Amino acid sequence: MENISFEKSLEKLETIVHELESGNIELECAIDKYTEAMKLVKSCSEKLNEATKKVNKILNENGELVDFSIEDTEE
Amino acid sequence: MLGIEEKYLKISDLNDYIKVMFDENSFLRKIYLKGEISNFKNHTRGHLYFTLKDETSRISAVMFYNNALRLNFTPEDGMNVLVTGRISCYPAQGTYQIYVESMEMDGLGKLYIEYEKLKKKLASEGLFDANCKKAIPKYPKKIGIITASTGAAIKDILSTIKRRYPICETILFPSLVQGASAAPEIVRQIRQANEFELDVIICGRGGGSIEDLWAFNEESVARAIYESKIPIISAVGHEVDFTIADFVADMRAPTPTGAAEMAVPDRKDIENILFEKKKQLNTLIKNNLKQRIAKVNNVKNCFILKNPMSLYEIKEQKLDTLIEQMNKNMQAKLKESETKLQHIQNNYILKNPLASFESFKNLIENTHVKMNHFIQNYLEKKEYEYQLTLNTLKLVNPLNILDKGYSLVEKEGKIIKTCDAIEIDDKIKIKLSKGEISAIVKEKKEWKI
Repeated sequence: MENISFEKSLEKLETIVHELESGNIELECAIDKYTEAMKLVKSCSEKLNEATKKVNKILNENGELVDFSIEDTEE
Repeated sequence: MLGIEEKYLKISDLNDYIKVMFDENSFLRKIYLKGEISNFKNHTRGHLYFTLKDETSRISAVMFYNNALRLNFTPEDGMNVLVTGRISCYPAQGTYQIYVESMEMDGLGKLYIEYEKLKKKLASEGLFDANCKKAIPKYPKKIGIITASTGAAIKDILSTIKRRYPICETILFPSLVQGASAAPEIVRQIRQANEFELDVIICGRGGGSIEDLWAFNEESVARAIYESKIPIISAVGHEVDFTIADFVADMRAPTPTGAAEMAVPDRKDIENILFEKKKQLNTLIKNNLKQRIAKVNNVKNCFILKNPMSLYEIKEQKLDTLIEQMNKNMQAKLKESETKLQHIQNNYILKNPLASFESFKNLIENTHVKMNHFIQNYLEKKEYEYQLTLNTLKLVNPLNILDKGYSLVEKEGKIIKTCDAIEIDDKIKIKLSKGEISAIVKEKKEWKI
């Protein structure tokens, strides 16, 4: 679940909702799909609220990526 | 001493003199002048007449047809221009003026011409075509930013991304964004950024004068944007500023903040979507279960399940009917067979086997007698027919006729029937009964009948 991208997760979620909406789906299958969809919702939410915020980088003159923050640029 | 008359110059002489003064001054033979056009007149013969002015002064100007031909714009009142020409006097009017040899637009005007020219060229090459535009991914993981490392633009972009979609990584590719070295640096950084795995690149700068933004109107920048494998959102200046880069870019943002908004989704929107989906899923699964429970209840309440005996009763009754029917059928079949047997037993032959043999013997004997009788009759009939035929043959035999005293006359092997076929001295043969004689005709008498 962690490996698939945010976009794919949301797409999959959409697909499952459509499948469940169509109604002609076996009960066992419906429950499986529901469980999967709930896991997707959870993983998406978690990704959004990831505690470790991404750091901004800058490519310096030596071609190296180093940390960069806007605060540094404030005069 | 000159007379009073001779003291005074003719105007034409003075003007001619002044003209020579101008013409001989090497400074005035070629001068560069800048100013604003007013009183512009395009003479029917193609010469241009106008006034050049600045805040405090003015000078008349004329540009002859052959020079005017080389203009790359149409001059009009209010335009700032740079002109090259010589100063001379027009004696007939007593005015000095500049004879313009070349003229180009000053400042913005000049830039504008270049801009229009490049825009047209790149458009015709297809660099702005909608089908060349790459799609901007909805949920980017990594975004490249090409702009100055200081200033409002980078601040706006980073704070917007942080606010909307903090889970996204950013890499800044710092670049000068104004001045002569801005364009080559932007080009270099676009190429550099393409070495990284980025989902999208934001390229731009904050607001400024048209000269400040000019790097984004350079052909090299336009081509680098076009060649980029990674989609680029351009974000140059303010809403009203349209640069060449904006036309080539896969998406044009009105401002750097706008570009950041286009590059990333808002986490609030995603949270709302997720919340909605969760609600929708719960409703769906609940409805799904409800429907199934209703179906189960339906089945549970059906008559058969409530009255299992009824299922059995029907079968029981059916079995009885079948047994009854089977017995009836068996009885009927038995009776039919008995009747048939009776009928056969009562047959005469079976009761009198000898009678049958006797009658067969009689039939053979009868047939034998009949056949003998038939053959007898047949033979008698044939014998009678044979005698009849023989008698007839006897009657017609020509030799029998000779026996009765008739004779046949032949001449040269042919039988003669009439007298006219015979001449005197003909040799003839006469056939009689039991022989023939040869004779020569001596006499002939024909009977008239």
